[in-house]
Amino acid sequence: MEKGKQKFKVRLLPGKCIGCGRCEPACPVDAIRYDEKGEPIIDLEKCIGCLKCVKVCPAEAIEKFLPGSETGEAEPEETPQETVGEEKIGKLWRGVWVYVEQMDGKAELVSWQLLGKGKELAQDLKAELAAVILGSNVEHLADEAAGYGADKVYLVDSPILKDYRAETHLHTCAYLVEKYSPEILLIGATGLGRDLAGAIATRLETGLTADCTGLAIDKQNRYLEQTRPAFGGNIMATILCEKARPQMASVRPNVMPAPPFVAGTSATLVRESIVIEEKDILTKILEIVPIQCEASVDITAVRVIVSGGRGLASSENFKMLQELADLLGGVVAGSRSAVDAGWVTHEKQVGQTGKTVRPKLYLACGISGAIQHLVGMQDAEYIIAINKDQHAPIFDVAHLGIVGDVFEVIPGMIEELRKKKNTPVCET
Amino acid sequence: MTVVESVIFALAFIGSLFLFLRRVFRLFAMVLLGKPEPRFDRLLGRLKSLLLFGFGQKRVIEEPFGVNHFFLFWGFILLQLMVNSEFIIAGVFPRFSLSFLGNVLYPVVTFVADITSFLVLLVVIIAAIRRMFFKPPHVERTLEAFFILKLVALLMVAYFGLHISSIAIGHVQEQYVPISQMLAIPFAGRGTELFWQVAHRVFWWLHAVVLLLFLVYIPYSKHLHILTALLNCFFRRFGFPQTLPRVAFKQGERFGVSKVTQFTWKDLLDFFSCTECGRCADACPATSTGKVLNPKEVILAGKANLLRNGSAILAARGGDTIAGTDERTPVALPLIAKAHGTGIPPEAIWDCTTCGACVEKCPVFIEQFPKLLAMRRHLAMERVEFPPELVTLFYNLEQRFNPYGIAPADRAKWASDLNVPLLSEQPNAEYLFYIGCVASFTSRMKNIMSAIVEALRKTSISFAVLGKEEQCCGDPLRRLGNEYVFDKFARGNVALFKKYGVKKMLTLCPHCYSTFKHDYKDFGAEFEVVHHTELLSELLKTGKLRPEKDLRHERIVFHDSCYLGRYNSVYEEPRTVIQKAVGSPPLEMEKKRRESFCCGAGGGRMWMEESSGTRINASRTRQALTLDPTIIATCCPYCLTMFEDGVKDEKAEGRVRVLDVAEILMPTPPSST
Repeated sequence: MEKGKQKFKVRLLPGKCIGCGRCEPACPVDAIRYDEKGEPIIDLEKCIGCLKCVKVCPAEAIEKFLPGSETGEAEPEETPQETVGEEKIGKLWRGVWVYVEQMDGKAELVSWQLLGKGKELAQDLKAELAAVILGSNVEHLADEAAGYGADKVYLVDSPILKDYRAETHLHTCAYLVEKYSPEILLIGATGLGRDLAGAIATRLETGLTADCTGLAIDKQNRYLEQTRPAFGGNIMATILCEKARPQMASVRPNVMPAPPFVAGTSATLVRESIVIEEKDILTKILEIVPIQCEASVDITAVRVIVSGGRGLASSENFKMLQELADLLGGVVAGSRSAVDAGWVTHEKQVGQTGKTVRPKLYLACGISGAIQHLVGMQDAEYIIAINKDQHAPIFDVAHLGIVGDVFEVIPGMIEELRKKKNTPVCET
Repeated sequence: MTVVESVIFALAFIGSLFLFLRRVFRLFAMVLLGKPEPRFDRLLGRLKSLLLFGFGQKRVIEEPFGVNHFFLFWGFILLQLMVNSEFIIAGVFPRFSLSFLGNVLYPVVTFVADITSFLVLLVVIIAAIRRMFFKPPHVERTLEAFFILKLVALLMVAYFGLHISSIAIGHVQEQYVPISQMLAIPFAGRGTELFWQVAHRVFWWLHAVVLLLFLVYIPYSKHLHILTALLNCFFRRFGFPQTLPRVAFKQGERFGVSKVTQFTWKDLLDFFSCTECGRCADACPATSTGKVLNPKEVILAGKANLLRNGSAILAARGGDTIAGTDERTPVALPLIAKAHGTGIPPEAIWDCTTCGACVEKCPVFIEQFPKLLAMRRHLAMERVEFPPELVTLFYNLEQRFNPYGIAPADRAKWASDLNVPLLSEQPNAEYLFYIGCVASFTSRMKNIMSAIVEALRKTSISFAVLGKEEQCCGDPLRRLGNEYVFDKFARGNVALFKKYGVKKMLTLCPHCYSTFKHDYKDFGAEFEVVHHTELLSELLKTGKLRPEKDLRHERIVFHDSCYLGRYNSVYEEPRTVIQKAVGSPPLEMEKKRRESFCCGAGGGRMWMEESSGTRINASRTRQALTLDPTIIATCCPYCLTMFEDGVKDEKAEGRVRVLDVAEILMPTPPSST
């Protein structure tokens, strides 16, 4: 910022202040105080234009302006917003990229969901949307990507990339980014995506916000506003990657909807070759063992969980839970007591020393809700608890609590659900 | 005795002595391969410990059968002075004898030697019988142990054989040897003089050979403890190992112990001091419940590892030089390994609850569990290899500052209807009432806080809580070896306490108590720490607080928390509170006070699963239930959780409640269960 030439003042942008209280102590001349709402009142006479409050405001609710100019925006005098990125970063980064995760030539749904969101972002930025596809014999995915909205597809097709290895995919993606300078790179937050995203961000020394629930564009600054819950979900934080490019974000599957597929659309195909050789790669894939047995269902990935605890009293009674789970399209899990008693296997244990689950619906049956269990499931979107004891701690976190006998309530639920058998209860 | 014989004996003796000294020197050099550790302070206290615990055998005789060893120990010392000294010198210079001591002293000496030899023989036979037919679980029937007993017995037999032969020959004895005399009676008048002269020679050489064999055998067997045990008592740690050294996080620094040479010389001396008595294993809650961990095996594995690596290092150095080690010293045999006998398996390292029963029991002051914690530091920070539950734990602590991963904003929910003052609003309160993570987030424990707050209000003691500002004390991090994150917590907490000028802290959790009191000293903490039982006890004793409930019909059994009891010697205060509240002292379990049996949650294990054997908390709950109590009294949120779970598993919920000592004392507020 140039000092001394322009005498700025600052003002509050309506509706953006989050009342965090950081601007007041930041002002060296005590030009800011708060009104009854907790919003800052800026004394323009005292203000010396040091812009400390602008910088410290996490919500960008204070903007600088030149007093006397009509619109009040600093845009014409200051370096144009269009090139803020360039001045700070050094070259022109343009384009919204989405990494397309695929296995054996079949793409993960989250990639298409991200293309949908990516399209919106690209439109706001007036930029191009591109899909990045790595694999072997995956050219058909280019057309699919086009159908989901990609303007361009970067394709690297090589046997080396057939199965995912961090090294190969990291090198290739980093190469592409460095060559084509996208301003945004989105990756689905799957197991693979988490592995890759962090590696790329570290290699490129840029910022990555994981598990975003919202993405938007700050058009003035060409910032990607990455929103995600923070501090146990108590606040929603919007994060900006101001100084580095590309701005990276990952999004969990099923957070954003997939766009409609429009057949017959085409995209510009950019073929690139692989930049590393097999002999330089330290990791070799020796064997791929697919999960065979039905029993090992990953309870952290399902959307409906019917969970049983001590109150179920026996292994037999878990059949009742299984029936309910089948009707709801979910799986059965258990508290530690249930696992200890042998009613469910350890991979289905929910809790501190088991798994943490975040399903859309969690049914806690005969579970008292000791804290060690609660921490494994309290972030579920909707919690229903059934317990005989009205003082059971589970009711502290349940959205709906039923004080009753599981052996009456659950059969009752099953019966009601059977009546509506033709209508699926849980939908996307 | 012919000249030839004397020469042969002299040569044999010199040879044996040489082998003995060379071995001892090598072992000494191996001990000094360890890192430095200051153990030369408090010399007077050390001398006292040597006398009381070494020569006095104080801890040995805590177990009744230890008396047997007491006799063996003193018998050995006396016999060296009174028999073997003369024997060895006379072996080289046949005319030598102790008769120069005079007419009074000499017979006394021989008398004592005679009685002692007999007692030693008796003691050895008793030991062998006990080991064979009445073996306690922690005593291992090794061949080596029986071999040593046999050698000692042989020595005694040879001694008596010698005397019987002498008496039969009719040597004029200025000795007063009544037992030998008695034993000689059946042989009186039998056998020719030649026979007895040959017998004398035979017994003499038997004695000589066994003695010299023993001399060499000592530093190669578990009897090495003869040389090291007394030293270990001298170099003991004073008090309980309440804390660990702080780590300096510098470039190139190593964390924890992965090689035996990274231990200190005192640790290595510990390895050589083990008598294989097995008392630590007997006391260990993990060993008792069938876990991999056995503290005796840990020490013996360390010993074997040190012997193998030490020999290699010394051999590689060429000369027998005494010098330390550094990073470049090759240490071929790994310490943390599944290798049988020379390695310590990782499961054993993680099984430990840090209860300290092993350290408290050891008759020769070996410190077992601190070595495991040193290895945990290596596993956690250098290898990042730990049980999977700890991924969740560490993540939660790093991100949310509590082990549960619950939002910090929810930490003060327990206080919502209690109207407790915040420290930020009342920084001049006398006590910072520090709640701790388990009590803050477990709804059932709100009663404990209510009870304490009630007591504080009734006695007009000003206090305040940190509320949402409170973070974990970091105890699980330190005990699990994640020192890097602990360091952050400690520094942060100390800064927070300094900011508010905290002078006195009241805790309800012994882990917070012990961590703040001891571990935080290295981080600049300068405040007094009080446990709620200490405060309540004091208030009751001075009459400021009066009990209000009638609990005479209750059968209350008290469980000593490891981190309050063994760690901080707070045994009386919780009992006083119960005594005052109920009118009579609580029922005591067999394993109480210093010998209390852990609930199983210490050492970070509260946050982990037990993957083998039976549950520790179940074992302790059963111990409590044998007394048929109506209340199990605890003074620690971990213990409370363990017992409540244990009671549920034992299906005893209807007949016994688990209550904190504070809940027993104070009336229960009407709204809570």
